Amino acid sequence: MKKLAITVMSFCMVFLAACGSAGNNEAANNTAANEGNKETATNAAEETKTEEAVPVKLRIYAQYADDDTKLPYDYAVAELKKEMPNVELELEVQAQDDGQKLKTYAATGNLPDIFQAGLDIITTFKKSGNILELDSYVDSLGFRDKMYPSTMNTLVTDDGHTYAFPYAGNEFALLYYNKELFEQNNVKVPTTYDELMAAVTAFNAAGITPLSIFAKEKWPTVALFDMFVTRNEPQGIQKLDKGQASISDPAYKDAADKIVELVKAGMLPKGATNLNYDQAAALFHQGKAAMFLNGQWEIAESTKQLGDKAGWMYIPGVDAANYEASKYAFSGGGGPGGYAVNPDTKDKDLTAKVAAFLSLKYAEYKYTERGNPLVATKVDKAIVTEYPPMMQQLSDDIAKITSTTAFAWGLSDAKFKAAIEDASQSLLTGAYTTEQFISDVSKAVPAAK
Amino acid sequence: MNKFLGNKTAILLFILPALLLYTVMVFYPIVQTFFRSMYEWDGLTEGTFIWFDNYTRLFQDSLFFTSVKNGLIFAIIITVTQIGIGSILAFAVADAKIKGRKILRISFFIPVVLSITVVCQLWLSIYNGEYGLINKIFEILGLEYKQDWLTSSKSAIIAIAFVNAWQYMGYHFALLLAGVKSVPEQYMEAARIDGATKLQAILKINIPMMAETYKFCLVFAITGGLNAFANMYIMTSGGPGTSTYTLTYLMYRSAFRVGEFGYGSAAAAILVIECLIATLIINRLIARERISY
Amino acid sequence: MTWMMKLRKNNPSMQIFLWLYAILSVYPLVWMIFYSLKNNNEIFVTNPFGPPLHLRFENYVAAWSKYNVPAYFMNSLLVAVATVAGAILLAVMFSYAAARLRWRFSKIAHTYILVGMFIPIQVIMIPLAILVRDLNLANTYGALIVPYIAFNISFASMVFYGFFRSIPIEMEESACIDGASIYRTFFSIMLPIIKPALATMVIFIFLNSWNEFTMAVILITKESLKTLPLGLLFFQGQFTTDWGAMGAAMTIASLPTVLIYILFSEQVENALTVGSAVKG
Repeated sequence: MKKLAITVMSFCMVFLAACGSAGNNEAANNTAANEGNKETATNAAEETKTEEAVPVKLRIYAQYADDDTKLPYDYAVAELKKEMPNVELELEVQAQDDGQKLKTYAATGNLPDIFQAGLDIITTFKKSGNILELDSYVDSLGFRDKMYPSTMNTLVTDDGHTYAFPYAGNEFALLYYNKELFEQNNVKVPTTYDELMAAVTAFNAAGITPLSIFAKEKWPTVALFDMFVTRNEPQGIQKLDKGQASISDPAYKDAADKIVELVKAGMLPKGATNLNYDQAAALFHQGKAAMFLNGQWEIAESTKQLGDKAGWMYIPGVDAANYEASKYAFSGGGGPGGYAVNPDTKDKDLTAKVAAFLSLKYAEYKYTERGNPLVATKVDKAIVTEYPPMMQQLSDDIAKITSTTAFAWGLSDAKFKAAIEDASQSLLTGAYTTEQFISDVSKAVPAAK
Repeated sequence: MNKFLGNKTAILLFILPALLLYTVMVFYPIVQTFFRSMYEWDGLTEGTFIWFDNYTRLFQDSLFFTSVKNGLIFAIIITVTQIGIGSILAFAVADAKIKGRKILRISFFIPVVLSITVVCQLWLSIYNGEYGLINKIFEILGLEYKQDWLTSSKSAIIAIAFVNAWQYMGYHFALLLAGVKSVPEQYMEAARIDGATKLQAILKINIPMMAETYKFCLVFAITGGLNAFANMYIMTSGGPGTSTYTLTYLMYRSAFRVGEFGYGSAAAAILVIECLIATLIINRLIARERISY
Repeated sequence: MTWMMKLRKNNPSMQIFLWLYAILSVYPLVWMIFYSLKNNNEIFVTNPFGPPLHLRFENYVAAWSKYNVPAYFMNSLLVAVATVAGAILLAVMFSYAAARLRWRFSKIAHTYILVGMFIPIQVIMIPLAILVRDLNLANTYGALIVPYIAFNISFASMVFYGFFRSIPIEMEESACIDGASIYRTFFSIMLPIIKPALATMVIFIFLNSWNEFTMAVILITKESLKTLPLGLLFFQGQFTTDWGAMGAAMTIASLPTVLIYILFSEQVENALTVGSAVKG
């Protein structure tokens, strides 16, 4: 019994001690830790200057899940090994959790040295000083010269500064279609809303799903809405994001009306808002759906599955004239994002250099090996994987593109982003009116800036 | 006796470790949540103190009411099914004459052992509109009763609640079984001698004797329902649109998708209060029932 | 017991219902194993429910190569065992004092502890993570064990409290008369009575800890401390997910628990009978 009492008592002591230290150290600890960090940071910086090849270990938080993220990352790391053999990267796989983990890291002062940041993270971290402004490194590392003039928007944010080294260029949302299904069923590839409605009716009569979409994820639903908007308002949802338009403007209202109408006519597969990519893509790849909405990165997979039966179309317009006029107003686009640097990293110069290097190599691999010409930075190596015809068509068109918008993840106003995502998905249920749509989104549209 | 049960040293020894650990790791963060619910705060910066503005906004937000309503629907469905089925199964398995009791007992608990991700993935496949099992069965039966289980804004919350109800029924089954086993044999003997049927014996003796067990099963089910998050996070992401939001989901969206940590904390604070009220009501109701018995 | 026999003979539907429900409960386990041997197309489109048409063991190779299964397994086990021991000990002591000992704030203390059940973990994640850092627990097993114990105290206390409340007061009276100390009464008389609850809670807390993902993903950054559920992270991309390999990872993570549960359920059954024997 005595033994037990002692154990229990010592338990208590531990907790008491723990409790005490938690109570009084809270605030003090924070600043102390920061001070400490700075000190060691400068020390370390000096050390690396004197001794060049000191092994350095950097923590990096990056996407690493499928071939599209793993292979470029591995390539970039292998190249880094050749260039800076003293740098070792410790990878933490990015969780698909709306930035929960990264934000907690920032809150606890445990941010990795390098992390992948999108516009939402940049916007949040900028305010709290958790992201290093990279302007001086853009110049000193010559990063600006490596950018295409058309992708400068991915390097510089609205405030004129750079917070991440981009690798992805301006990507697009495309409307894919199965040429064979259109021919077999004598359906004209739609150029206007009326023709699109006729196609929906005809495919439904033939037992074919007119348009497949993985609406369990919310961004494709926003992209669909945006496609319709861009027929009359080339800036699409981005104009709302910037607070320069109202959701009740005709371009937006008409787009919502059209979608509701088409959904009611049976444009989408059963239970579309709960289909994931694999399920929705299978409908298209197996010839059960005539059209499919996805980013241009789908080109590789659709070519593999459908060969030259697959193509992508210009978005149907209000009428023939509108179709021609808005033909090159594309939906989708790019924005600031890429490898960002923790301002508390030990050696800022070195970390920034590594981040910039990784971005370049990441883009290089995507360009040469993954058949993706839409990268942020110039690549001087020859392409290993030939472009499929659909990509050729797109790359021929790039010079002609008059405007782009943004994907849902490229929106800068988090509140608007969440609202438009939820509302666009609701539109696809068919049990949601344009009025509800406008009322739900208008609450979140940022005021004019 | 009072001296025996009022032993101060013993009481302190028994309660302090739990209280201390709980206060530091659980209660202190809860206090922080309440405190932060009065801030406009993104989780990282200093934030600004805004009194009760977050709450005022909350009460004007239609999403808040959707979330509260969904939490209640969720709680009611899981409470009724989990405790209902759990009781039937527990009483049946406690009956020494049922064959294969051990296998049954293990089987009923299997869904609890699996992770929620596995179970949600399975039900996603079952509910799927295009490839799903339920619609396929209707098709085979020649019925034109295909439903958009998870994609109609009306049925989605119910469909999700049943997944949770089904998965965690095993918890209630196990707790109730332990409760049944704690009812002394002689009471049942007495009932048998009085010529009571099995059902009568259960209603008149077991259930009242198990009032405490039912009390925590109720608290567990109702607060679990009001708190629901993982199911919708995996199955619908709150969709279609916002139709399967609960308060926890609203909190998650506000804090991480929108970056309004203060507003999310206000939603969480309301949730804690809601659960507390539910618990107090349950305690009142069950205490009364015991007196009447 | 003849009346029971009669009841059952007249009522085979009960037996059928029980077995059907059992099949429904075991199916997800089978489904998970099927799933782990399929590719995405089979999982979602061509064959979501049946056995795999082609056994894709490469999913297991992928899952196994991605993470160090033996190390993760040991971490999960260590964390779970420590959590079970800590949470049960603290909760059972607390709830005994709250339910049976006589002190002024016992009701309030009980309600106070209960509040822990109501708070969604996501909302206190940031304060919790800061706390773990300030207590110097970051990157130790303690980063998981200490919060896990704390978060299981509420639920376990509520269950134990209920069980303690239903024990007749005569138990302590006779112990007191026999001259036993309060500690002796607690360990040799009270604990054996609530053995069924103890056994049940061991399983519950073990599972809670074993399957916990939300806290683990945020509080553990060191590779050598990672637990099994974190393996799921490796397969979820921004646009695509390798579901088959994820299924394999889930099977690797949960099959041991199923086995442990089946083995351990024997002990639970014994505990349950012992429990009623003491009282009967």
